[in-house]
Amino acid sequence: MNRFTIATATSYDDASAIVKSDRFALPILKAGGMDVVDHLKEGLWEPDALVDVLRAEGGAAAPIQEHREAGRSSIRLSALTTLDEIATSTLIQARCPALAQSAGSAATPQVRNVATAAGNLLQRPRCWYYRSKDFDCLKKGGDRCYAVQGLNRYHAIFGDGPCHIVHPSNLAPALMVAGGVAHLTGGDRDSIPIAKLYHTPDRGVRDEHNLKPGEVVTAITLNAAPNSGFYAIKEKQSFDWPLVMAAVALELDGTRIANARVCAGAVAPVPWMLPAVGQALRDVSIDDDAGLKAACARATQGAAPMSDNAYKLKLLPVAIRRAVLKAAGKEVE
Amino acid sequence: MPETPARAITAPDDADTQSHTPTHMPTTNRPINMGKTVADQASRLDGIAKVTGRAMYARDYYMDNSLFVAFIRCPVGVGRMVSADEDAARATPGVVEVTIDRREGTYAGQPVGRIAAESKTALRRAMRALNARWDAGECKTEIEHVMMPPPETSEAAQRALAGADHVLEAVYSTPVQTHSPLETHGAVVDHRGDRAIVYSSTQGVQAAADGLEDALALKRSQYEVRCEYIGGGFGSKLNGAGREGIAAGEVSRAHGRPASCFTDRDEDHLDTGNRPSSRTSVRVGFNNDGTIVGGHIHSWGGVGVARGGGGVDCPSGHYNLGQMQAGNESVQLNAGAPRPFRAPGWPQGKFAEELMVDEIAAICGADPLAIRLRMETSEARKEMYQLGAKLIDWNSRTANGSGRGVTKRGLGMGGTSWRRFPARAEAEVVIHRDGSVVAKTGTQDIGTGMRTVAGVLCAEHLGVPLDHVDVAIGRSTLPIGPGSGGSMTSHNVAPAMIAAAEDAKAKLLDALADTLGEPARDLDLVDGRILQRGEPVMDFAQACAKLPREQITGRGEFSRNGGAQQHLGEGTSDGVQFVDLSVDTETGVIKVNRVIAIQACGRVVCRKTAESQIIGGVIQGLSYALFEHKMLDRNTGSMVNANLEQYKILGTDDTPLIEPVLWTKGQTGVRSLGEPPTIPTAGATACALLNAIGAPVRHLPLTPDKVLDAIEEAQP
Ligand SMILES: Cc1cc2nc3c(=O)[nH]c(=O)nc-3n(C[C@H](O)[C@H](O)[C@H](O)COP(=O)(O)OP(=O)(O)OC[C@H]3O[C@@H](n4cnc5c(N)ncnc54)[C@H](O)[C@@H]3O)c2cc1C
Repeated sequence: MNRFTIATATSYDDASAIVKSDRFALPILKAGGMDVVDHLKEGLWEPDALVDVLRAEGGAAAPIQEHREAGRSSIRLSALTTLDEIATSTLIQARCPALAQSAGSAATPQVRNVATAAGNLLQRPRCWYYRSKDFDCLKKGGDRCYAVQGLNRYHAIFGDGPCHIVHPSNLAPALMVAGGVAHLTGGDRDSIPIAKLYHTPDRGVRDEHNLKPGEVVTAITLNAAPNSGFYAIKEKQSFDWPLVMAAVALELDGTRIANARVCAGAVAPVPWMLPAVGQALRDVSIDDDAGLKAACARATQGAAPMSDNAYKLKLLPVAIRRAVLKAAGKEVE
Repeated sequence: MPETPARAITAPDDADTQSHTPTHMPTTNRPINMGKTVADQASRLDGIAKVTGRAMYARDYYMDNSLFVAFIRCPVGVGRMVSADEDAARATPGVVEVTIDRREGTYAGQPVGRIAAESKTALRRAMRALNARWDAGECKTEIEHVMMPPPETSEAAQRALAGADHVLEAVYSTPVQTHSPLETHGAVVDHRGDRAIVYSSTQGVQAAADGLEDALALKRSQYEVRCEYIGGGFGSKLNGAGREGIAAGEVSRAHGRPASCFTDRDEDHLDTGNRPSSRTSVRVGFNNDGTIVGGHIHSWGGVGVARGGGGVDCPSGHYNLGQMQAGNESVQLNAGAPRPFRAPGWPQGKFAEELMVDEIAAICGADPLAIRLRMETSEARKEMYQLGAKLIDWNSRTANGSGRGVTKRGLGMGGTSWRRFPARAEAEVVIHRDGSVVAKTGTQDIGTGMRTVAGVLCAEHLGVPLDHVDVAIGRSTLPIGPGSGGSMTSHNVAPAMIAAAEDAKAKLLDALADTLGEPARDLDLVDGRILQRGEPVMDFAQACAKLPREQITGRGEFSRNGGAQQHLGEGTSDGVQFVDLSVDTETGVIKVNRVIAIQACGRVVCRKTAESQIIGGVIQGLSYALFEHKMLDRNTGSMVNANLEQYKILGTDDTPLIEPVLWTKGQTGVRSLGEPPTIPTAGATACALLNAIGAPVRHLPLTPDKVLDAIEEAQP
């Protein structure tokens, strides 16, 4: 690890100002620090300053709140709300269970206690070629994606490359189906929908998101999605990222699915919306297992697995079906 | 670990209740020597020091004015260093030494030179300034890339195959497992010109000292190796002082300053040994009733750049396999060499063998328990299988793959054994006039509980409570003790320590007899009290105060042919394990519910540490079965998961209820326990998986992708 300064930001605007000033050559925003410190330890980043946003709201993060307006309800989290606070919030559990479940199944209790919502959305991929200093891959300015000819069991089954990471965030798919929006300061816009937060590698392989330098996330809002669910399939139950995950938001008419939004995670370089599955789920009864299976089987249309990860094609429809059942309040395996 | 209420298992009616001691956690085990030993409830002597952080591990020694040493390493499987800026590295502030010994490498992680500097930061900067550039060549990373076909099958084996009702042909494989101790490999050396102290993370303080004369340029009498505590060993720290220790020694001597050389986590995965990968190819003939008549088993071990060490214990000798031809070859690859790893060769072999037996049972429609009872070569294991079957409720087992519903349950079993390897051990028991007692032997405690075992044996055979005894181990200057490998520490130290304690006791009673003017044969020391013709006359402290000199030293020694043979006793290290698991057949995810581990280890010296050893063995075995896998990039030969995130190890949520059962029938002498409990776990797990899903997964680790493929194949 190199020497660096810790600059404590007193507000999000202050954080943005420090990043944009010429005080430091390579300032990096730090919230919980889980992913930032990983990068420092591996020698992937050598910032001269960490701009700490943990005190940007004066100490404690603003509480999770619900706003109701014209019959619509929206929920607001601080950028600094921790995964544990999201998972255990009775408001989120009731108004957007998919989000609470996604936070609760991420990582470990220790990580959830410090990891923040904004940090989770902006964490970098776990690709072992990216994370290892021995491989000068595309993401680090090199000339190839080592996963293509190499080992890729945890890599993407969707997307045209040239880089085949999967986006690791648990929260992102849940926020995608709940109309999540990231609120910003420091740039020329106030917010960006989560649906527009990420870009595919062909639009820039060095980063995954569309924030400009100096843009800082201040809060996240989402629509209430009381019939929503999240399911992650994990190889290992402690201390690991999922193999495949799915978030689903339903509108139910009795047992009939009137509308469904489906987003998969850990299958593509960005959270992967599956509109065809949403479409196919329409009018299926949540008690019609064969119907659900047929609809969820559509998830793998257009997938192009790599040499070692075709198994994800089997997992993805299962994760979606189980997320649907959870969204409908049913018990799953 | 799952919370379970402490409930006693009632012993099966027909079993000898003295022959086994079932346990639930929190444990209620009752070894046969219950009530006769000071150790029924004894806790690890150093437990508090460890959990409070008071225990100092070698890695914890940050000495004033210390230098730090790191190796320059080849980053690829086959590499040539085409450039390196040694001047820039030397010019980095704080750097005191940069040497490059060679400019090619044949495995990722191979040391080719080293840098010494005044801080770890300076080291890292120097590595960066060195900017070594490597050309990568073509490399071999898998056994299949290199292996030759098996030799011809002998005529006898061919005849057996031809006469059999069925023949099973299968290939089983296991990946490289790294030791992954929490404390990585290395040492801190404090060289003071004419003497030195070496703080080494080692499984053998004596062997570590043996390898350091040249590096330190000192006589053996001038330095001491210390290892009071060690953060995990598992076999990879049996290599004397190791290259890290030698490097720290040379640097400390050259600069007259302390020097610390420890591997980082990635280096630890790459270059400090491993359990080699294996491939076992079987062609085995058997009759309709499941009787195996013979065939041909050939195995390969992927030993990286080592010449040998790829043994696979299949056949294990546990089963009568008829006319079986067997062979093994070590296969060279561009990868780090193996080192001994908790029962070298055995978990690999037992994975193949136990699954093979269950596949044969499946083809014959036979009960895997019945088939084992027929083939088993050990009477003790036969009895253990029968007890284990009751404890796991084997009768509730359903036919392979027959479970309804998405989640299917499976049961499996496997056996283990271990030999007794004799080694030299010397011990001293010193009684001081103030009533304090020290038990000394130059072995070390690698987490097994050796310190506690030494203390218990001393206390018991001297006749004083355990808290009277201080144990001195972990220093090369103490009387010779065995290295902690081959499960041979306790059983070699035990006879020596018992003899030393008895010698000390005899000397104490003699001295007391003189003072009292009574015959020594009328005196005894029991539970800290002096008895005269069976009546208490004074306590131990009062007796010691009467000693004519400051201390009495009792001595004991044990070796293959001499000394203390009378304390050997009887016993074996046989065992069996049963695994109960559930498989989510839609996701392929396995959840292990429960493991019963029946294990003999001779006389149980300390119940808690014995059980802990068994539980640890099972955890390591399950981790091997389900997760562990050193993965080398097939193009560059670099390891892709050289950390403890992507190199997956069993975690809390993956750990089932593990019930150690100490088998005490016929066990009177101390026997091996370190290695046997990790041997059968992966095989038993694979058998349970076959039972659950109706198809074998023949390649470790048992990950969801392979489980789903097997389920698909099993479908008609
Ligand atoms: C063992 C382990 C298992 C894990 N498993 C999972 C899992 O299953 N699912 C999952 O989703 N995650 C998992 N994680 C990742 C963890 O959830 C993330 O690392 C964490 O959420 C990051 O949050 P943080 O606050 O620590 O972010 P930091 O590390 O502080 O920051 C992460 C990134 O976000 C940027 N950033 C932070 N805050 C802001 C802001 N307000 N505005 C703009 N940029 C910002 C930083 O510059 C940095 O690039 C796991 C982590 C570990 C260690």
